[in-house]
Amino acid sequence: MINSKKVVLVGHFGVGKTSIIRRFVDDVFTDDYKVTIGVHILKKEIEVNGQKLTFVIWDLEGKDDVEKVRKSHLIGTSGFMYVIDPTRSSTYVNIESEIAYLKSNYPSAQLLTIANKVDLIDKKEFKKQINYPIDFFTSAKTSKNVEEIFNKLGLNFLNNI
Amino acid sequence: MTDSEKLVKLKQLLLNEDRDFALQILQKLESVEKTLNEEELLSEKVNPIIDKKIETFADEIPSKLGPTITEALKIQIRDSQDQVVEALFPIIGKMIKKYIQQEMKNLSESINSQVQSTFSIKKWKRKFKSFFTGVSEESIILSEMAKPNVEQVFIIEKGSGLLIANVSKSQENIDKDMIAGMLTAIKSFVEDAFTKEEQSLELIQYELYNIYIQNMSSYYVAAVISGSFNTEFKDELEDKILDFASKHKKEKLVEDSKVTNKLIESLFND
Ligand SMILES: Nc1nc2c(ncn2[C@@H]2O[C@H](COP(=O)(O)OP(=O)(O)OP(=O)(O)O)[C@@H](O)[C@H]2O)c(=O)[nH]1
Ligand SMILES: [Mg+2]
Repeated sequence: MINSKKVVLVGHFGVGKTSIIRRFVDDVFTDDYKVTIGVHILKKEIEVNGQKLTFVIWDLEGKDDVEKVRKSHLIGTSGFMYVIDPTRSSTYVNIESEIAYLKSNYPSAQLLTIANKVDLIDKKEFKKQINYPIDFFTSAKTSKNVEEIFNKLGLNFLNNI
Repeated sequence: MTDSEKLVKLKQLLLNEDRDFALQILQKLESVEKTLNEEELLSEKVNPIIDKKIETFADEIPSKLGPTITEALKIQIRDSQDQVVEALFPIIGKMIKKYIQQEMKNLSESINSQVQSTFSIKKWKRKFKSFFTGVSEESIILSEMAKPNVEQVFIIEKGSGLLIANVSKSQENIDKDMIAGMLTAIKSFVEDAFTKEEQSLELIQYELYNIYIQNMSSYYVAAVISGSFNTEFKDELEDKILDFASKHKKEKLVEDSKVTNKLIESLFND
């Protein structure tokens, strides 16, 4: 049995997908912005409830429309993280239809909605501006909740098999 | 002193002075003339001045002429790319040729040492083969060295790109899971971008290796091959993989890694 899981981060440009992954995999963060082109694949092994899981993480290039993402990058995914940047409303105005698209096309995959860069915002104020449930508020910069989102995915995988 | 005497004395004095003066001038003139006429002497005088001029001029070139020259060169190169390529080509060609010559030399040295040092059955087999076929012993070794060889086999789930199984001849510290993912991403990229209809990527050349890809319905096999990949070898490999696939469903491969690894090993030749 393979206990590897394909995990894919999607979202607009510059929301912090690469930063979240780098924080999770190598525990580093940088302020400079290097646009991801195509796809970059990284890997990390974690342990959830005493079970070893290998995450093969696909860091996709940002797209302002999830339907424009290459299908072959999405198929076979066990867990999606849909990442938004709460400091830029353009990254979440369409979140509802974006998530709906992912859910209808990849019904068996787990999905978490993530608002990154929480270090830059007032969470209460932000919640007034968005009427869609956000699962986690993270910061790749301060590490806040980064481990947690991957653990949560791991738990969901184990409970759902 | 009479008046006339005085006059003479005065004349003498005046003339003497004149004469001295004239003599001095004459000497100066002579030396100038000499300097002018004799190149060596002239250059002794003039060169430092010219040198100095040139020095300041040279100092100023970068700031004064630099940009202009660079610009001119840029334009020149841009407008005559063909010529530039033509000019560079032989140089690069020579470098490559030199490199290849060196490599061939190394190769032939290693062949020679192999021919000379080995006192083995293989050597006698080669000698016989050489004797009966008329092909030189070196050529036979050469072809033995370039023989295609499966070095590593990946079985990868389609879509997710997750590694189902992997067997490698040598120990390497590359991450197999990441390779499997990247291979899948490359494969899908090529298939999306360049092929119409139901074609698929079959071969990736990477440095000295060929990565041969064969699709099954829910997974694909990627074999990393060293040496010279040829059609004969490809057909053989294809048959082996198809044979292998017909015996085992993906589920079986995923469940029983021992069986899988044994089977992959059957793909390795020799
Ligand atoms: N303050 C702060 N800045 C962040 C955080 N996460 C990412 N950034 C910054 O946001 C910029 C974009 O981050 P990336 O991780 O490259 O974004 P991305 O989503 O991978 O971008 P694309 O690859 O273009 O889609 C970078 O300058 C990061 O330093 C965070 O949690 N807090
Ligand atoms: Mg990125």
